[in-house]
Amino acid sequence: MKRRGFLQKIVYGTSVLVASSLPFAFSRFLTPDVKADPTTHLRPPGALKDDDAFISACIGCGLCGEVCPPKCIRFYSREGGHKVNTPYINPEEKACTLCNKCMEVCPTASLQETPRNKIDMGISQIDRTACYPWVDRGICGACVAVCPLGEKAISFKMWGQYRPIVHDACVGCGLCVEICPHPSLPIRIVERSQGKVVRHSI
Amino acid sequence: MTSKTIKPFFLWKHLNKLRWLSLCTVFAMLIFLPYAHVYQTFEAAHAYDLLADSEKQLYDTMEAITSPFINDIEKDLDAIKGNTWSGTFFGYQLSDPLAALGQIFAGRSFYLPFLLTALVPVIFTIVFGRFFCGWICPATFIYELNTNVAAWLRRAGLKTGNRRFDLRIKYLVLAIGLVLSAITGSVLVAGIYPPAIVGREIYYAIALGGFGAGSVFFVITLLFDLLVARRGFCRYLCPGGALYSLLGRFRIFRIQRIVENCNDCAKCNAICEFGLDPLRDGFGQECNNCTACIAICPTDALTFKVRLSDVPNMGPGHLGKLYRRDKKDNGKQ
Repeated sequence: MKRRGFLQKIVYGTSVLVASSLPFAFSRFLTPDVKADPTTHLRPPGALKDDDAFISACIGCGLCGEVCPPKCIRFYSREGGHKVNTPYINPEEKACTLCNKCMEVCPTASLQETPRNKIDMGISQIDRTACYPWVDRGICGACVAVCPLGEKAISFKMWGQYRPIVHDACVGCGLCVEICPHPSLPIRIVERSQGKVVRHSI
Repeated sequence: MTSKTIKPFFLWKHLNKLRWLSLCTVFAMLIFLPYAHVYQTFEAAHAYDLLADSEKQLYDTMEAITSPFINDIEKDLDAIKGNTWSGTFFGYQLSDPLAALGQIFAGRSFYLPFLLTALVPVIFTIVFGRFFCGWICPATFIYELNTNVAAWLRRAGLKTGNRRFDLRIKYLVLAIGLVLSAITGSVLVAGIYPPAIVGREIYYAIALGGFGAGSVFFVITLLFDLLVARRGFCRYLCPGGALYSLLGRFRIFRIQRIVENCNDCAKCNAICEFGLDPLRDGFGQECNNCTACIAICPTDALTFKVRLSDVPNMGPGHLGKLYRRDKKDNGKQ
């Protein structure tokens, strides 16, 4: 009799433990750990550089997206895995205009207020084997015209020809990517360490 | 038949209507704000002529609604933003205490400016108990309507779940969630906390064109409430409810039974969404001061009291006793 009571207690305790962890199991089930493509997904401006620190600081309230005037900030859904509900910007769809509203509104320190020339979302990288002026396929200059930081970030090569050159002041807002008319997007936002010009291995 | 009649303050009986007004307002705001955001986006783009017809309709409607109140669309509509998980309210940032606690565990650090945004809700909870669950939570709005749906289904002859579990399971959910948050380094409790999910999913659905992962989870909780236990998620599993219960344990405003007026009809026990026992003075830390029991009480036997703890069981209601004794006497004569 004593043993039966003991066993009943064990079963009861286990079932309570299982029941109380079930919601977390469900939420993990709904967000499988699939990595989203990191090349086109930038964190919003002012985000903590360490992505793990960013994920643990972000509470997923969505305020940054709700104040964003160009509505460029989106949120990871199922495909984000453990990044679920954290913000990202895909400059190919819609790029950041560096208005700083998201940093001002962020209740946690995951987006830190940064002056617009100190923001570091990445850097533009130009593929000189595809960009229209670089392969002498006409005059473009859309990226230079749209850049919110102007000459310091991207300018034409000396002696014209409308060939764009990226400088170190580029903060990686991605407006050039959004406006680039080339279907294969020879301009992309990449990590700063990867350089401003695409290096082809051939 | 002689009985002392103690009348509770007349307004307490109508607080339940006020509560529904509050719930409806919060829910309506959660729907309005994403539309306001979309409108602001159109405004910021200066592209009225380029909008599609449906977008133009949205723009015109929003302009008609907001133009009496605001001058500068880009700035003034930013006054109220966000949801109940975290939001700005005329310059004040307010966050859910669970968000603050979850972030402490996930980041294993204290970021004071953010913790301070949870201060006002915490103080309100210490005074009014688990009031958030009954008065503000946008998920409560849907869950209580779901309870009504269950009642209709029962009236139509279908069986709905009414199991009871241990009310303390939710504290374990909270503890497990915080430990898992600390291990994985992401705020996991945000993924299973219905008010956060509802606020977020409404925004995703309206402004970003599609529901996210949380909506499926929310539907599962609705089905759980309908088929397994009435209001089951809030009663047994909600981590935020657990935190609010702990904070509101020594709340100052609590509902108390007036034993002289009570006739033991047990309508309060039937209406109580959280499965408490007002009939035997069993409120405890789980009570969310929703005042549904006060509203339904036919003899005005429930009232608000300023006390730090519940009174122990005062026994069966005197009115019921008197009624029974009168009946017995009549029978004899």
